[in-house]
Amino acid sequence: MRKDQTLGDYLRLQGVSRRGFLKYCSATASLMALPPSAVAQVAEALATARRPSVIWLSFQECTGCTESLTRSHAPTVESLIFDAISLDYHHTLQAAAGHGAEAARMAAMEENAGKYLLVVDGSIPDGNNGYSTIAGISNLEMLKETAANAFAIIAVGTCAAFGGLPHANPNPTGAVAVSDIIKDKPIINVSGCPPIPVVITGVLAHFLTFGTIPQLDALGRPAAFFGQNIHDRCYRRPFYERGQYAETFDDEGARKGWCLYKLGCKGPTTYNACATLKWNEGTSFPIQSGHGCIGCSEPNFWDKGGFYNPISAGLWGSRDALLGAAAAGAALGVGSAMAARARKKKAQAAEEV
Amino acid sequence: MTLLEFASGPALQWSLWIFVFGVTWRIVGAVFLMAKKDLSRARHKKNLSDGVRTMLSRSIPAHAFEKRIRFQHISGYAWHLALFVSVLFFAPHILFFESLLGFSWPHLPNTIILFTAAIATGVLIALLIRRATHHVQRFISNADDYISIVVVLVPLITGILAFAHIGGRYETLLAIHLLSVEAMFIWFPFGKLMHTAMTFPSRYQAGTSFGRRGVKA
Amino acid sequence: MNAQMASLHDFRNTLHGLGDNLGIEDMPDEERVSRAKKTFLRKLDGRKAVDLDTCLQCGMCAEACHFFEATQDERYSPVYKFRPLRRFYRREMSPMRWLYRPFTRDIGVEDFEEWQHLVYDACTGCGRCDMMCPMGINISTLIRVMREGLAAAGYMPPELQALRNEQRDQNTLFGVGKEQLKALVDKLRTENVNVPLDREQADVMLLTTAVEVSLFPDALAASARILNKTGVDWTIRSNAFEAANVGLISGDDPTLNLAIKRIVEEAKSCGVKTLLLPESGHAYQAMRWEAANEMGEALSFDVLSMPEYMSSEIQAGRIKLKAQSNGASVTYHDPCRLSRKSGVMQQPRDVLAALGLDIRETDANGRENYCCGGGCGEYVLKSATSLRQKAFEIKRREFDETGADAVVTGCANCRINLLIGADNSGWQTPVKSLVETVAASLAD
Repeated sequence: MRKDQTLGDYLRLQGVSRRGFLKYCSATASLMALPPSAVAQVAEALATARRPSVIWLSFQECTGCTESLTRSHAPTVESLIFDAISLDYHHTLQAAAGHGAEAARMAAMEENAGKYLLVVDGSIPDGNNGYSTIAGISNLEMLKETAANAFAIIAVGTCAAFGGLPHANPNPTGAVAVSDIIKDKPIINVSGCPPIPVVITGVLAHFLTFGTIPQLDALGRPAAFFGQNIHDRCYRRPFYERGQYAETFDDEGARKGWCLYKLGCKGPTTYNACATLKWNEGTSFPIQSGHGCIGCSEPNFWDKGGFYNPISAGLWGSRDALLGAAAAGAALGVGSAMAARARKKKAQAAEEV
Repeated sequence: MTLLEFASGPALQWSLWIFVFGVTWRIVGAVFLMAKKDLSRARHKKNLSDGVRTMLSRSIPAHAFEKRIRFQHISGYAWHLALFVSVLFFAPHILFFESLLGFSWPHLPNTIILFTAAIATGVLIALLIRRATHHVQRFISNADDYISIVVVLVPLITGILAFAHIGGRYETLLAIHLLSVEAMFIWFPFGKLMHTAMTFPSRYQAGTSFGRRGVKA
Repeated sequence: MNAQMASLHDFRNTLHGLGDNLGIEDMPDEERVSRAKKTFLRKLDGRKAVDLDTCLQCGMCAEACHFFEATQDERYSPVYKFRPLRRFYRREMSPMRWLYRPFTRDIGVEDFEEWQHLVYDACTGCGRCDMMCPMGINISTLIRVMREGLAAAGYMPPELQALRNEQRDQNTLFGVGKEQLKALVDKLRTENVNVPLDREQADVMLLTTAVEVSLFPDALAASARILNKTGVDWTIRSNAFEAANVGLISGDDPTLNLAIKRIVEEAKSCGVKTLLLPESGHAYQAMRWEAANEMGEALSFDVLSMPEYMSSEIQAGRIKLKAQSNGASVTYHDPCRLSRKSGVMQQPRDVLAALGLDIRETDANGRENYCCGGGCGEYVLKSATSLRQKAFEIKRREFDETGADAVVTGCANCRINLLIGADNSGWQTPVKSLVETVAASLAD
């Protein structure tokens, strides 16, 4: 898409009909829990939107977020939107490399100062900054430098939003989230490992339409997508209520599609849109495939006791320590009784006298 | 650390340690005071069967007493049984015990658990009211008695709320439920809840001390 | 009123006047507290600790206590009666005493003042609460420890003090000693009842009581006739004939021990194989269950009560009875310390059955039996008079419901209490002694 083209022009050129475009706007609006009256506003805004400059920084990440967002077997309107933004810097997708790539980044920052969107995926090592550098610049430096003139930051993926996998115990790199470093810019956390593609484009659409960031929950995630937990929208919920659980991955319960609570499903404490929007354009999601939710859109999900440990099993420490506590208690009990018996004996001796 | 992580992590750990430490301390400390052997001639030498019989038979009041204590007796056992069913046969609870003990047992459907939890809560509240209003219980009760009831009632109520997802975000409800259970674990060794551990030894004693005299206690 | 009732009334009036010159024993308050605490310290052990730690404060024990039932006064809840003992235990002996101490009031003189009435007037140590407690707590024993602490602190009621002093210092009770016993024995001989007094050796040593000697000599005569019928080699020793143990009922340990020791030594010196107790509850309890522990070694003789003895002799055919053919019905009043606390429940009933009597059980019988209200020293206490009478009304109702022609009992103290209660309320049903009933039916 040329820089002076609007998004509407670009979509028309790609063969997206007005009808198709409006269908997308309706779907997006409803996804964002906007009233039907807002559809027109969304359509107007998207149609006339100039290509916003987006700088995408990739830090300690696995590129899974990029894969999720960009991989599709058939072109979708979402991916077209994505193509429609001016992605001025992205390690995986850009053609340039080396100094040229860095120069492009600096130029985009200068040209669009105060107006560009900064997208970050991957966590930032706040321990030894040498753990992750790009062009000799530490992630920490690059983030601070690029965030300084950004309009807003979208932290894509649980690593950028909460620290993710690198942050898991024992966190050797001192990995932290974007929000741990940047305190003076609006940050939208689009968590998930990876996030659902339509969530990011929904956020972008909101931004393009209203020029603002959408309503966020307490963890900075768009409430429209992260406002409900998996458990409440899970199609297997009736089996939970009836107490019908799969005990192993290949037993009768598993084959019958029963609840996966006992196999470690973290659905009750995980907030995401997987159970409704699903993945691969609505094909399926982990629970439907027979594996419990691992809670990937939540902070510290790697350290919540294990993917196969049920929620109610607790995160507590060693069982042997309990035996130690019992031994200590018994010792104190014997000691207190011996002391009392000594006094009793003395009183008995006094009586005999 | 979120509230839920705290509740299912360090809070659980510490409260269990205090629980095990305190319970052992108190039982060992009482029993180890020891007692002198009874030198009088027993009518028979069936200590074990005397003791075991009374451990069970005391749950059935004698004929002359039964009508006088019927309300307390029935409601007492009703709420205890309802509590045990709710605690021991709810699948997520069994998973917790399995993580603690290494083995598990079959569970009951959740709707039955909700029913028994509601019964336990309702009857316990009724007994709390009785304790505060009945002329004998009101007179003999002290802070320990009320705290011990409340510290069991709150987990029951918060458990029902968490189960039914009423009153807030699920993790918060769950965390509050866990914290209330942990508060109970911490209070347990020091207050009246210890009767859980002491009841059977005490009944056993009654069985043997009366049994050796030829009286089925 | 008949002669027996007249002498009973005299007896009771004498009792009530016993303590007129006595009061709370004089000693500094700190000493009271220290003595009580030492007593508690000596008496509490692992078993009592488990009991004290198990109490649910459910209050069901109140529903078992005849004094609570008769008055609905919460202070008579058995659990309340040992409350200061529990406070002592928590502060001084419980495993967690260091944690409880800041929250538990120390015991003091105000406790002794309040609890004297509760543990002396309002508790007969009947043990009904022991049977009720869902936790199996031996409540009556804890209340007894309370009593012992109060006694040590000088709060023994004056009537009991007087009796304790008499038994301890003079080896008599109610003025009944060797001479009075000898006089009775001589009189019985003139009535052809032979009581072998002071034989050097014997197989069986019979005890009697001051109550029998002064109030119920027929009971002693009956026992003598029964023993003579069986042909057993028996004696009464005038140095130690008194079965009653004031130490036990007053909570005075040294006297409990002394009274037991006198009997044991006398029994050993004449080489008896069996010690035979007369109709008395607490006396049997003292010798059968407590004597060995007080002496520190197992007894070298068996201890039997008259009902046990009669039952086994009847079964062995050594006592032959004239069966009653008039269809008379009786109800047996179980003396608490003989039945519930000692297991002698079936034998008296076997004896009554052997007599051909129609036995009607009260609704609460055997181990659930209601106390007569007079045991454990109650009937000597003037201050307990109204409570005793109220307790009697419960027994009266129970007896009436059986429709029995007479009440038979195996304890002289129960007998006194029931007779007095009956007299005070105009109740006509006769109250009889088991041994006298048997003796009256001995086949010649």
